[in-house]
Parts: sequence; structure tokens; C-alpha cells
Amino acid sequence: MAVVLLLSLCAHGQDSTFNSELSTLNCQLNKEVLHSSMIGVGFSNILDTYLSSYNYKGTDIRVQRETMRMTNLWKGHVANQSLIDFHVDINKNRTRNIKEYAGGIRYAQGWYYNFMGGNVVNPVERSHTRFNFAVGLSASGYLGVVYINRSGNNPAQAKADLMLNVGGLATYDMVIAHHHYLWRYQVTFPLIGIAFSPDYGQSYYEAFVTEHYSRNVVFAYPGNMPSMHHKLTLDIPIKRYTLRVGYVAQIDQSLFNHLKYHSYSHDFMIGFNKYLYRR
Amino acid sequence: MKKALLLLAFSFSLFTFTSCVKEDYYDNSKQGNYEALWRIMNEHYCFFDYKKQELGVDWDEIHARYAYKINESMTNAQLFEVLCNMLAELQDGHVNLSAPFDFGRNWSFYEDYPENYNDSIAKLYLGHNYQIASGLKYIILDDNIGYVRCESFESGIGDGNVSVMLQNMASCKGLIIDVRGNGGGQLDKARTLASHFTNERLLVGYVSHKTDKGRSDFSSPKAEYLDPASDGIRWQKPVVVLTNRAVYSAANDFVKCIKLCPNVTIMGDKTGGGSGMPFNRELPNGWTVRYSAVVYFDKDMHHTEFGIEPDIPLSFSGADLAQKKDTYIEQARTFLGNKSHL
Repeated sequence: MAVVLLLSLCAHGQDSTFNSELSTLNCQLNKEVLHSSMIGVGFSNILDTYLSSYNYKGTDIRVQRETMRMTNLWKGHVANQSLIDFHVDINKNRTRNIKEYAGGIRYAQGWYYNFMGGNVVNPVERSHTRFNFAVGLSASGYLGVVYINRSGNNPAQAKADLMLNVGGLATYDMVIAHHHYLWRYQVTFPLIGIAFSPDYGQSYYEAFVTEHYSRNVVFAYPGNMPSMHHKLTLDIPIKRYTLRVGYVAQIDQSLFNHLKYHSYSHDFMIGFNKYLYRR
Repeated sequence: MKKALLLLAFSFSLFTFTSCVKEDYYDNSKQGNYEALWRIMNEHYCFFDYKKQELGVDWDEIHARYAYKINESMTNAQLFEVLCNMLAELQDGHVNLSAPFDFGRNWSFYEDYPENYNDSIAKLYLGHNYQIASGLKYIILDDNIGYVRCESFESGIGDGNVSVMLQNMASCKGLIIDVRGNGGGQLDKARTLASHFTNERLLVGYVSHKTDKGRSDFSSPKAEYLDPASDGIRWQKPVVVLTNRAVYSAANDFVKCIKLCPNVTIMGDKTGGGSGMPFNRELPNGWTVRYSAVVYFDKDMHHTEFGIEPDIPLSFSGADLAQKKDTYIEQARTFLGNKSHL
């Protein structure tokens, strides 16, 4: 849909010659797409008081697929980012006799305004400054589950939210021996949205079999969902490809219906990114 | 502008870090585990008000009384015993403490009463040619009365299983459903079986769950209905359900529901109860505690936590036992035989 929007924006005629040329240039730039795929492993710490009163700690495995490109919005200063983040966690309780499995997928679509005429998509080739930064909004949706392998009527917990987020991107082009090493940092804060939560002592049988809904869709805001996502990467050019290494911190927290939840993960990521030019 | 944005990002970060959602930490010590268990029950157990009214249970007084017995030099077995004794005050079969070496329980709901069931004798009625429909053992007795032995609701009883069974006994003049000793299982399976004995939607009770940590914080009761089975056969002839004190949890709910169905008579002893849906949690030392978390009432908003009275009370007869006869089954056969002559 974003591509259609972009093409339609490109298709609109401009009156002045300058604007027409700028538009043509932007359309060409907008066809430049940054694809990045990363996989990582790290530390996980999950608390979900619907299931257990205590933290479960272990390993987080994460895969991220990111696509970025410039758009024609706001005179071509807006970058678009789509991000798919998938994670699986395998944790144990303090005494390591009970296992917990968690997993989820988040999809986000964001638009970021580039300051000072910068370009956070391809700053090495398209920007005149070493330092570039952009801020903007993104919309995201998350679906996940947390499962603890002990029997009972509360063995699992579903997680879901639809959020509007605010965030920022910053890049720094570090040149060493004529090679460009690009540092990229992104931070995202969930702002407002809706989330699913069972009520404090509600069973899933009650909610889904007898349809006794009780405060199961809650309004989320930083007061009851103080969360943030950080991502720091370094792009290292290797011949035609670019190796990307980085660190991802996902700090997700909520306090819905007097149920505490946190999922802290810190992953070291590795992957490749590539600039493609669409026809 | 840049400074303002950096300030905004810094503020968000600071807010998030200072708003950490943390666990309520307890040491893995004897005292820590004791306090953790008391608190889990205090914040999640659903029958404090009812148990205070019926048994005089004062959870704060219990804390003070048992805290005195905890010390760090005691063994794990001693700690387990003290914790189980504390939980036993609630007289709830759904309250258990599981450790690698033992399973703490209070099963006085049936252990303190006559069993009114003899497995060896009951098996004589089934013989060797009985059929099994997803855990339901059934046979047609000599006097053309169908006998169904339902030992548990753990197995996946479905409309198809029940319908085939009822089809096979369609010529019977009555049906005995023997749930004695049935300790429960899946609530929806119990209701699936009950749904084949009504032609109308029935109000069977109300459900309420906790909404916060307070002992009286509950959601408004929500009505629960038993819908007639939409698939398969619905039984229209007389039915006797045999109960004893070991009928518990989902089986207790089955009795609560089927008692409201037409043509159904409950015969035997009072059921064991267990009307709370149990949840599980663990202690800092890894032991697991199970507790009643969601309250199920009957249609008059009465608790069935301590059981359901039968329509016709029965006791085992020594003379019948001597003749290897099951008093309950014999009485049910007589009752159904008389009904068929009316």
C-alpha cells in the first residue's frame, strides 16, 4: 500500500520546473530500498503475574527484517520503515525446575522526518553530513504467547496489542581508511493504543468458552505500558554486501488489570543489508 | 529543535526506566517461602469470605499462628508439613502443594465419609462385554436399564461419543449414570455430557472471578447456561445419577447441571464439592501450589464448594455387600423400573 501511495504521489504533476526536477530526483531516490535481515541471540527475562509471581530467565532468539526508503512526503524529507520482529524465548524459573516458552511477532510501519536535509536510509551516499537524524511515528501490532509447562487452568497467556509509537533514528558515518562504517541507532516508545489482557483472576475458559468478557481490551499508554525498544547497529562494508552487527534491547512492560508483565530482552544481532533499486 | 527532541527522548527513557514493572521478590529461605505462599493465597484464593462464614477461617490469624512454626533450621520436609497444615485449614480439595517428594492435600471431603462404592462389585455389573465411548463405559443390564460408568471427565467426551452411546441404549427404559469416585477433569466435557439430557436452555449457575488482590474483589456474577446438545441424540427417558462424596470438581459441576434437567434424579450421597476452578503458581523454591481461583455458583447463587445434596439419599447396605450387590445400582434399577410402570 505504501508503494502505491508513493507512486501516486510521484505521479502528481508539479507546476514549476524546479519542483518537477526535484520530484523526478526524489522518485529516483525513492526507488532505492534498504533491506536488512538480522538474527540474534541474547538474554531474556519475563515476568507475567497471571502465570507466576516470579521472573523467568533464559535465552531469547530474535529475527528482524527491515525495509527502509525515502518517500515524497513533506518535500521528500520523510523516510518510511517497515519492520518485522520475531522472537522466541526459552526460560526457566529461579530454581530451574519449571520451563517457560514465549514467542511473538511484531509488525511496524513507521514514517520519520529527516532533519537538516539528511537521509537516514542511505546517509553515506545521499547525505552531505556525517550525522543524520529523524523522528517520527509508527503504527505497530504484536501477537504473542507465554506458556509455562505446568498443568492447570492458567498455563498460558496470550499477548496482543495495536500501538501508535513515537521514535527516532540517528546515523553517523564513520570513515576509516576511506571505508565508511555506518552507525545507526533507533529508539521507539509505544505511545497509545489498545491491548489484550485477561482480568486479574479470569480464566481463559471463562473468556473464550463461556464468553464472559471482563476488561479484556484495555487502553494502553505510557502510564500502564512504559516500554521502549532500542537498536544500535554498525554497517561494515564487505565488497558488494554490507555486514550489519548490532544490539537490540526490547523493554516491554505493562500493568493491566493489576497484572504485572515485563519482557526484557537484550540480543546481539548479526546480518546483512543491501540497497536495491526498484524499477 | 534538536535539543528539544533529545530532551523528549531522554524524558521517555527516564520515565520507562523509573517505571520498572518488577516482581515481588522473596528469598528462597524457609521464611521467604512461607511468606510467599501466604501472600499467593491471600491475593488469589477465591473462597476466603465463604470459608470465614462457614468454617471461621481467619487468614490473618492463620499467618500469625503458623509464622511462629517457621525457622531456618527446619528441614524441607518439616517446612512442607507446616505449609500443608496451613493450607489444610481451608478444607479445599483444590488446594494442594506439590514438592518433588510429596503431594500435600486435604481430601477430608471424601476420606471422612463412607465410600459407598465398591469397585469389585461395580465391575460385576459391567462384566466383560461393556462398550467404551471415549472413557464412558456402558452396558445394558438384564432388566433393560442402561448403565453408564463415568469415572472421569479427563477424556475427550464429545457429542458424537455420547450420541452413539445413547443410540445403542435407545431401547432401554431408563439410564443410570454412575459418577461415583469421579474426581473431575474438564468442565466443558462434563457439560457436553449433561447437554444431552435437556431440550431447553437452562440457567445452571453463575461465575465470578477475582478482579484485584483484595479478598472480596470479585467481578459481578455472570449467568451460565446449559444449551441442549445441537448435534446428535437427546435422551428423553428417566435418568438416575449415582453420587458419593468423591464426586468432585468438574463432576460436581456435572451433577449441578444435570440435576436441573427433566427426568433426572440424583441418588446416593452428597457430592464432595470443589466449585472453584483451580490455578497453579510456584513458590521461590520451585514447589507448586494449586488453589481455587474462580467461583462457580449454582442457579440460586449458592456455593456448591461443600457439595450437592442428592434427591434421594442412599447408604450402602451390608447385606447387599455380602451378596456382592451394589446397593446404589440396585436402588436405581428399582426406581427406574417403577418409573417405567407409571
